Amino acid sequence: MKNVWTIVKKEFSRFFKDKRMIISVLLPGLLIYIIYSLMGTITSSVMGTDNEDASYTACVVNMPESLSEGFERLELVEGLSEDEAKKKIADGELDLYIVFPENFLEDITAGKNDPYPNVKVYYDSSAQSSVKAFTYVNTVFEILQGIKFTVNLPVEGENIRFDLADEKNTAGKMLSMFMPMLMFALLVSGCVAVAPEAIAGEKERGTMATMLITPIKRWELALGKILSLSVFALLSGISSFLGVLLSLPKLMAGLSGGDMAAFYSAGDYFMIFGLIISAVLVIISAFSVMSAFAKSVKEAGALITPLMILIIVLGVVSMVLPSVSVGLYAIPLLGCELAMSAIFTFSITPLAFVLAIVSNFVLAVALVVALSFMFRNEKIMFNK
Amino acid sequence: MEEILKVENLRKTFKLSRKQQKLERTNTNVKTAVDNLSFTAYRGEIFGLLGPNGAGKTTTLRMLATLIKPDSGNAYIEGASIVSDESKVRGKIGFLTSELKLEEFFTPNYLFDFFSELYGVEKSVRENRKRELFGKFGIDKFAEVKLGNLSTGMKQKVSLVISIVHDPDFIIFDEPTNGLDVLTAKVVTDFLAELRSAGKTIILSTHIFSLVERLCDRVGVIIDGRLVALDTVQNLTAEKNLEEKFFDLYKETVGEEV
Ligand SMILES: Nc1ncnc2c1ncn2[C@@H]1O[C@H](COP(=O)(O)OP(=O)(O)OP(=O)(O)O)[C@@H](O)[C@H]1O
Ligand SMILES: [Mg+2]
Repeated sequence: MKNVWTIVKKEFSRFFKDKRMIISVLLPGLLIYIIYSLMGTITSSVMGTDNEDASYTACVVNMPESLSEGFERLELVEGLSEDEAKKKIADGELDLYIVFPENFLEDITAGKNDPYPNVKVYYDSSAQSSVKAFTYVNTVFEILQGIKFTVNLPVEGENIRFDLADEKNTAGKMLSMFMPMLMFALLVSGCVAVAPEAIAGEKERGTMATMLITPIKRWELALGKILSLSVFALLSGISSFLGVLLSLPKLMAGLSGGDMAAFYSAGDYFMIFGLIISAVLVIISAFSVMSAFAKSVKEAGALITPLMILIIVLGVVSMVLPSVSVGLYAIPLLGCELAMSAIFTFSITPLAFVLAIVSNFVLAVALVVALSFMFRNEKIMFNK
Repeated sequence: MEEILKVENLRKTFKLSRKQQKLERTNTNVKTAVDNLSFTAYRGEIFGLLGPNGAGKTTTLRMLATLIKPDSGNAYIEGASIVSDESKVRGKIGFLTSELKLEEFFTPNYLFDFFSELYGVEKSVRENRKRELFGKFGIDKFAEVKLGNLSTGMKQKVSLVISIVHDPDFIIFDEPTNGLDVLTAKVVTDFLAELRSAGKTIILSTHIFSLVERLCDRVGVIIDGRLVALDTVQNLTAEKNLEEKFFDLYKETVGEEV
């Protein structure tokens, strides 16, 4: 075990003292941040501006005649029941449902203050135009400041949700669509950056043979390599992930009102992190095995390409699968992508998670064993 | 005399690719690089393996160093088999050959520490050895220079020093003076003699006759993978010098004048 650590230390000094290597691994994250932020700024500048003459649809109940002038930008929809209106809002067909108290004007003139008259405005925070309409209505209410009333004040004992968006699910669906794919693509690119160099490169340069004549066990060498390479790939993955995470608010600006990151619990993040680590181990081990077959770094790149394509295909498969039986989670990498999707849509089961992560670890261990056997094979290690 | 290395009927063949077959003008698709080789080396001697290019010297030494496995036969280093007890053998020997490279990115100092750890050398022992060996070969001035920036000769010296970080009793040197100028070559050969006086056993492969005459106690002559002579240098050079003796042997084995 001590030798494993010796190998890991050596790989670390090789990596962390080489600025070019660090940059090549961390650059994708920075690029992603810049590109996504720019994309976000552009889309939100297109979508986010509230042009003055836009009008919104609203169903209004009990509005005093004298106020209707102030809401000139609302197109009133008549004759909807409360339930119908709320459903239309959630479906995106209506922007607002506004309910004034029955004797609004009388109460105001009478100076009712315990409680103040309360206006209810229902909206959908996940729909662009509904949010804008809500903002517009609030500005109008602010103009009426002189009059004492409240808007959307929660009443004790009464649990009303004014935001009709099923925000959590909308955001979750969105994230589950592209996050697993994206994360896998980032991890794969991180693994490609380090595995061929550290395995095929050492073989090509003849430095692997120098280690092979020392008493170090072959599995120690294999494990030391894979652990340290996984750390680099993970760093690269984390850098890319941070790039995504930090640019996400900008990218999503105007698309969704909510703070998506807050929907997920620490447990969710923990599970995602565990899945990522297990996936990195599998991908690095698989790439290392391919690199060990190769005679040169260049050839390793060629041998790894089919694997990369396979992993990307798995990502697509996980996205388009109509229904998921629990057995699929036991397929390494695919199960991991499915589990990530499930976490984002709040539908992960403990069994699915365990299957996904265990299947990855089992495959990774098998690949480490395979790699140590390859290190033992002179035809593979010295195939010039 | 204590036997430290016993080689018994070592044999190694390589599969030849079509292209290689054409180049070597044969129809057989296997090349016998080492053919039934047997010899013994005793503690405290320098044993020379002398042979022309392609004779099978390096192949033999690679088998002894457990880099490759023999097709048949065996060899024992202080009783440990190169076939079944590889790990033990690896700890006992030092091996220097051009095939084994050091990472150019690292400094001699770092590499010495790294390989010391892999060989399980104690830290205090390691520092003493490093000071002594780096001093002897003039590496101390370059201890913190990346290997890639060192001259060929200095690289070779570093390789030599690294190959014996663990102070092995049995050392295999494959053409240790290849590519070195006379000054550097002398430093290396003097060191070999010094190792012998310290009681180490050395297997030295070379095609340089003068080196064998000057340094070796006994010598095995290999031609075409077979051992064609095995004796003390004294006996072999009793009538004529080693070079002439070699031409005779070559004529006997290959059947043509040189
Ligand atoms: N991996 C291999 N595949 C095919 N043939 C090989 C392989 N390794 C060595 N040979 C062949 O085996 C023979 C012996 O090679 P070896 O390197 O042992 O010779 P040598 O005595 O060290 O020669 P030199 O003095 O040139 O270093 C050569 O003909 C060589 O071409
Ligand atoms: Mg040779």
